[in-house]
Amino acid sequence: LVVVLSEREISAGIVEACRQGDRDAFRALYETYKDKVYSITLYFFHGDSSTAADATQQVFLKLLRNMAQFRGDSEFSTWLYRFVVNTCLDWTRRKSAREIPADLRPFAASYSQEQDFARAQTGESVQAALSALPPKFRMPVLLRYFEGLSYGEMGRALNCSTGTVASRLNRAHKILAKKLAGLKYV
Amino acid sequence: MFDDLKNLPVRKAPDSVWSEIESSLDRPRSRSTGFSLCLAAAAALAAIAFFVYRYEADKPRWQVVRLDGAPSIGASKMGDSGRIAEGQWLETDSTSRAQISVGEIGTVQVEPNTRVRLVAARPQEHRLSLAKGEISAVVNAPPRLFFVDTTASTAVDLGCAYTMKVDDSGSGLLQVTLGWVALEWNGRESMVPAGASCRTRPKIGPGTPYFDDAPAELKDALSSFDFSVTKADPLDTILPAARARDTLTLWHLLSRTQRSDRDRVLDRMLALAPLPEGVTRAQILSLDRKALDQWKDQLVFKW
Repeated sequence: LVVVLSEREISAGIVEACRQGDRDAFRALYETYKDKVYSITLYFFHGDSSTAADATQQVFLKLLRNMAQFRGDSEFSTWLYRFVVNTCLDWTRRKSAREIPADLRPFAASYSQEQDFARAQTGESVQAALSALPPKFRMPVLLRYFEGLSYGEMGRALNCSTGTVASRLNRAHKILAKKLAGLKYV
Repeated sequence: MFDDLKNLPVRKAPDSVWSEIESSLDRPRSRSTGFSLCLAAAAALAAIAFFVYRYEADKPRWQVVRLDGAPSIGASKMGDSGRIAEGQWLETDSTSRAQISVGEIGTVQVEPNTRVRLVAARPQEHRLSLAKGEISAVVNAPPRLFFVDTTASTAVDLGCAYTMKVDDSGSGLLQVTLGWVALEWNGRESMVPAGASCRTRPKIGPGTPYFDDAPAELKDALSSFDFSVTKADPLDTILPAARARDTLTLWHLLSRTQRSDRDRVLDRMLALAPLPEGVTRAQILSLDRKALDQWKDQLVFKW
């Protein structure tokens, strides 16, 4: 039996149970966050599903390994995002030679036939532009718009000041706007 | 543009991710996955052991089981099993080994040529004294319930598994395989995480902890820094050799160096890891405890 909890239900009890080695509790926590973590890593790694799956696996293993360090003085999700950020950026540094793929086409479009083709095309352009951002700008954009984090939460996840967060987002907006010139936004 | 970013579809993680995680948890001992497995197993055991510990506190503790040869308790050779009382010594020769049950909270394996004494067997204090030899402890209990005294330090269990060796001169080596151990002696403290080790010396206390996979030159120079007087400055070797993970070592060195050297240590650390938001260089250089702890809490992610 796999229990799926809402993020609100990730209580201190679940975290404590994970800390005590309760695998069911860890599975429940994994089920709650896996798609979000996978999606961030997928968008971060240009739609490379294999790398995203490996990175997601690493995030959760690191999370389990460091569960004892979580002291509950911040949101659990913020703490989790730090692992996501560190894993993605570490991965990028290690594989810097392969960081920017030659092909920046948007990945696996998920739009159904019923959906508007123009909208799908626009979404794909946004994904491609996102993929082309340097990692230090790409991650703030994902946390801000895909995850909806506040500047404060982003600062804690990215381990930088809110001023730095704002500055990186501003730079990212400019790059995205330039890349997407000609589409409806500009 | 922002709407499209906000509306990026959530992708479903493949089922294979959990399968991989699960098999990693079950896989014996590669470095990182072994750690996770041990952590999960130890934590589960901790929960069980602590439950038993709380409800069966009155039961006799400190059972000893013979593993090899003929260990002795006090002046008597023991049979297949025995009990050790406060103040008694357990001794093994070159062919014998034994295992002590540390109350209900863990076990200590006593290797050959070891002499160890039971100092305290109380619910809030489980304490051994290791005079010489080697013991391996696995403790599944809340922190600071199990202690091992040597002539050069006290190892304070913070929920962990570790090996402690002491040679005939009283010099020691702690190697942590799971969790954390604090080595304390006369106000000096070294925090040692899994995968790291720390040497100890009589009259000096615990040295500076280092990761076992740290560069050899760093470890050698660290030994000189901690326990020798040399013409060459060990920091000249330690600092350039340090990797991001070795901020464990550098963080400890901050409080073990004079001001001018502390500047150098801090500069190297800053090249490897940024200060937390709100923490200043001046606070670190003045060894502000809160600031140091804040930084350590952040650096732990690299350790």
